Amino acid sequence: MKIAMPVDAPNLDAQVENRLGTASYLLVVDTETLDFEAVQGPSGTSGPGSGIQVVSMAVGMGAEAVLCGYIAPYIAQTLEKSGIRIIRAVRGRARDAVEEFQRGDFDRTEEAEAQHGEESPVHPALWRGAFQRAARQFVGMLPVLIGVILLVGLFQAFFPRQALTAVFSKDPFWDTLWGACAGILLTGNPVNSYVIGQTLLDMGVGLCGVTALMLSWVGVGLVQLPAEIGVLGARFAVGRNVATFLLILLAVPLIVGLSGGTW
Amino acid sequence: MKKTAWAFPLVVLVLYLVLWVLTPDRTGRAVMAAAHVLGQVSFPLLLAFVMMLLLNRFVTPAHATRFLGRKSGVLGVLLSSAAGIVSMGPVYAWYPFLASLREKGASDFHLANFLGQRAVKPVLLPLMIAYFGWRFSLVFSIVSAFIAILAATVVGGLSRAGTGNENLPPF
Repeated sequence: MKIAMPVDAPNLDAQVENRLGTASYLLVVDTETLDFEAVQGPSGTSGPGSGIQVVSMAVGMGAEAVLCGYIAPYIAQTLEKSGIRIIRAVRGRARDAVEEFQRGDFDRTEEAEAQHGEESPVHPALWRGAFQRAARQFVGMLPVLIGVILLVGLFQAFFPRQALTAVFSKDPFWDTLWGACAGILLTGNPVNSYVIGQTLLDMGVGLCGVTALMLSWVGVGLVQLPAEIGVLGARFAVGRNVATFLLILLAVPLIVGLSGGTW
Repeated sequence: MKKTAWAFPLVVLVLYLVLWVLTPDRTGRAVMAAAHVLGQVSFPLLLAFVMMLLLNRFVTPAHATRFLGRKSGVLGVLLSSAAGIVSMGPVYAWYPFLASLREKGASDFHLANFLGQRAVKPVLLPLMIAYFGWRFSLVFSIVSAFIAILAATVVGGLSRAGTGNENLPPF
């Protein structure tokens, strides 16, 4: 994840500055790779509203947490409502702050503060925050989820499973390909793929086609692809589905050969 | 939420309306099928939400990076594999959970491995054996697990290429 910090120089050895609105630079660091981007801050000459301007810049650069010395409560509140984490009273080198963040030192401090402030052993403030974040992430996914469920309904009604048998030709290569393609279109519990697979075998379809169908049934999905792209990105979703599809084509002869089945 | 987020379900709804005019009976069956899927997905969705709540409450970015980040090693592979294997219900019920895990710092390799390992279902193994025999079922399950890891490695590599940091391991 990316974190943003007001700093006095455009590198990781810079000192974390107290306020966003008067920072010389804004540093946005990827906590995993330590890659960073530095942009010129408003510095001490800027007027009121410069803090919000810098915060907007940080959010626009993908920051999910802001580390600083001090932040105005109204800005912090707005950011926290949008799921951006605010960590105050951060001092020292930017690199050290990132390491402390990675180690979870700030989490322990926040938890200790929450425990100190709340008498209840269940820490309602922490649970409330967690619930708000989970709800925000969940609601953000709902439109795509609803779309996928509607699409699955259409596929189930307009793509009769009996039509599957028509595409198989008892040629291991083509059966593997068509089986994998059919599995992409069909969704549902893996048990259904076993039942359909057994039915196909009884109808004389080769094990290659059935194995490919069962593998791609769970591994690859065209219907849920928009949802996967929406949540995890096109590079992830398309890459994963294409790679899995190609691996299935390679794995089918291996499975059929090792299990001693008839092609 | 993005303003365009509802575009996809709205397009599908328009498709329903067009198909309803053309073939009302079959579209009615599609509505029933979608309602059935909604019923099926409700419990896994609830489960996913509870897991997201627990994740947001107890798992810090530091934990996610340590156990499921790029440098989590074999332990990370085992954890994401086990999580994928025990996850139940339709795959799309788990997308919000995966998005939440990624926000916390889990790597793309582990997210892809989670999705791929869902093909391995030990609880369904007795049924699979009854249908296809133990030898086929065993080979099928083992190869499925390897496919998941290989596909996840490809995704990890793509993600690494996307960040421009070629020195990072894919998982």
